[in-house]
Amino acid sequence: MAEVILRQVEKVYPNGFKAVHGIDLTIHEGEFMVFVGPSGCAKSTTLRMIAGLEDISDGQIMIGNKCVNNLPPKDRGISMVFQNYALYPHMSVYENMAFGLKQQKINKREIERRISDAAETLEITHLLASKPGEMSGGQRQRVALGRAMVRKPDVFLFDEPLSNLDAKLRVSTRISIAQLHHDLKAEGQNATMIYVTHDQVEAMTLGDRICVLDQGKIMQVDTPMNLYHSPANKFVAGFIGSPAMNLLRATVNQENDATYIQLDNGAKFLLPSEKAEKVTGKIGQQVWFGLRPEHISLVAPSTEAATAQEQNIELTYIKVVESMGNEMYLYCALGQEQIIARCHFDPKINIQHSESHYMHFDMSHCHLFDIDTEMALVN
Amino acid sequence: MSTQSIDLPLGNYQVQQQQADKKQKLAKPATPVSTLLKSASSLLVKHSFLSFAGLIMVFPFVWMLSGSMKSNDEIFSNPLNIFPEQFRWQTFVETFESAPFGLYIMNSFTVAFFTTLIVMINSAMFAYAITQLKFKSRTVLYFIVMACYMLPGAVTYIPSYITLANLGLLDSHTGLIISNAASVFGVFYLRQVFLKVHPSLIEAARIDGAGEVKILWAIVLPQCKAALATLFLITFITNYNSYMWPSLLITSQDLNLIATGIRQFFIAEGNYGLNWSQIMAASTIAVMPLLILFIICQKTILSGIADNGVKE
Ligand SMILES: Nc1ncnc2c1ncn2[C@@H]1O[C@H](COP(=O)(O)OP(=O)(O)OP(=O)(O)O)[C@@H](O)[C@H]1O
Ligand SMILES: [Mg+2]
Repeated sequence: MAEVILRQVEKVYPNGFKAVHGIDLTIHEGEFMVFVGPSGCAKSTTLRMIAGLEDISDGQIMIGNKCVNNLPPKDRGISMVFQNYALYPHMSVYENMAFGLKQQKINKREIERRISDAAETLEITHLLASKPGEMSGGQRQRVALGRAMVRKPDVFLFDEPLSNLDAKLRVSTRISIAQLHHDLKAEGQNATMIYVTHDQVEAMTLGDRICVLDQGKIMQVDTPMNLYHSPANKFVAGFIGSPAMNLLRATVNQENDATYIQLDNGAKFLLPSEKAEKVTGKIGQQVWFGLRPEHISLVAPSTEAATAQEQNIELTYIKVVESMGNEMYLYCALGQEQIIARCHFDPKINIQHSESHYMHFDMSHCHLFDIDTEMALVN
Repeated sequence: MSTQSIDLPLGNYQVQQQQADKKQKLAKPATPVSTLLKSASSLLVKHSFLSFAGLIMVFPFVWMLSGSMKSNDEIFSNPLNIFPEQFRWQTFVETFESAPFGLYIMNSFTVAFFTTLIVMINSAMFAYAITQLKFKSRTVLYFIVMACYMLPGAVTYIPSYITLANLGLLDSHTGLIISNAASVFGVFYLRQVFLKVHPSLIEAARIDGAGEVKILWAIVLPQCKAALATLFLITFITNYNSYMWPSLLITSQDLNLIATGIRQFFIAEGNYGLNWSQIMAASTIAVMPLLILFIICQKTILSGIADNGVKE
């Protein structure tokens, strides 16, 4: 029901610290937007400015075609779910959920109806009479979710709502939130959701689009798939994906009409022609070379000798092996560079640490970034 | 009544701390006998120390009570005798009948009650403003309050007297109430307590559409019941017992507070000589309402609040 637009939004804290440096962002009606970034990148600050809990130092925030810069939180059509739940400790679950509605002078019948609906959806009906102190973290967070829901806001704001839950609850509550978004849409309540997290699994699974922030600036806004496969810059490339993308300094070289990426230790990788075309201007210059761990694979030992001379295969020294059950993370040294490979677990291949193995680097998936601007050259 | 002996509950923090301590104790593995003995002996030391301290505290009260039932001669011949030779309960009746006690207690009670009520309201609002509202001068305001804390009360008698005289409020309960209606201690204490209320609760309430007064009333105060009960008790006792300032301000007999009343009837007027057993009985009667009040408030003060609803 409401589009959220940020125009050149800035935040300077009273102590002079500039937390947000001019954010421009349009969040469409009904969209699930996730803010993600390292700690201290101003995710919460931005969200709190949208909520009206922090003043906007400069720029403009629009919610549903209305400039809300000077509106108090209650008049912005928002609800917020806090990391620490922020349930009123002296009130029962029912009273917690009713408090906001009573302030809006909604009649008693309607309040009861909304609360029982929300409680049913969130499966907290049996808790309505309990106090927050008597409930588990997961239950409290669902109550907080319910308190946000009953207000039927145009925009839901979440500030790391799952980070105090244990791993399992986090998954189930995450699914509840996704479900809530779908359900509200199905009911015709096209609620916009803005969700802050530093957990990229949450970001990737929940977001229609993700906004990656760093030091108060937007690094990239795009769908999860595009962020993963075509990061706009080195920061996004390194931030999205786990384990993180391998990012190495390298030089673009040309020999016999073929373009190579050459590492400082001499290792050379042939760049496919469609990627090579984009870096013709960078021959002889340094770039950041990025390759995701899943695009580095073990060469089966039986074929090692035969393939050692082929393209894009290098001998690496394996330092640590982490087994995940279905897959393995191999932490290896390639010369003085550290790289991570992510391979399917194969019972026939027995990999131990402190061994050397040949690895294949799949250059059709490589990324190149400018050494100075760190912007993507090749994705 | 000394106010220093009351343990001030600072919001939920201490309760949580205690709970955490308890959990830690429970989690301890079984301890060998030697450490058990050690902890038992340290417990013994602790308890005997506390019992001793408690005895010292309670002694003047018990002594007053026993004195009121002794005869005047016995008070001086056997001053340390806790149990009088003869329990003379009729002293109380005689004393009560010999002076308008009901009126004095009523006067003290009304003045103390209204003063305390106003003090609690304005202290809570002031403390809320300097802890939860964002405005530039809030630190300055707090320091002004702290500066007032250092001012000795007696210094304010003359300016207050003149002000009240100009307002035409000398020799009236209204004047007494107004001149005590702001408490630096109240602001200072509630500020400490309100600082412990998690800011996200107040933000949640703002988003829920509650105004600041509503937030103070419906969100902040219910979480600070223990502290409010403490402040109520301290302020009430101070005003109920107050002697110096009312004795300057009040001149009409029937407006006297209990402390001045006792003095006038049994000491200054001297129509009974210095009848110590009656003075003791009068003091006991005067203290009774406070004791009852204390028993009522004690539950709230000790209960604290279980949980503050946010996860740290
Ligand atoms: N009240 C404040 N006064 C001054 N600086 C602040 C204030 N609040 C936050 N900051 C600073 O602003 C920056 C952004 O803070 P913010 O809380 O928005 O980060 P975040 O992205 O939410 O981090 P996290 O993931 O740790 O929650 C930080 O560097 C922080 O130190
Ligand atoms: Mg944050």
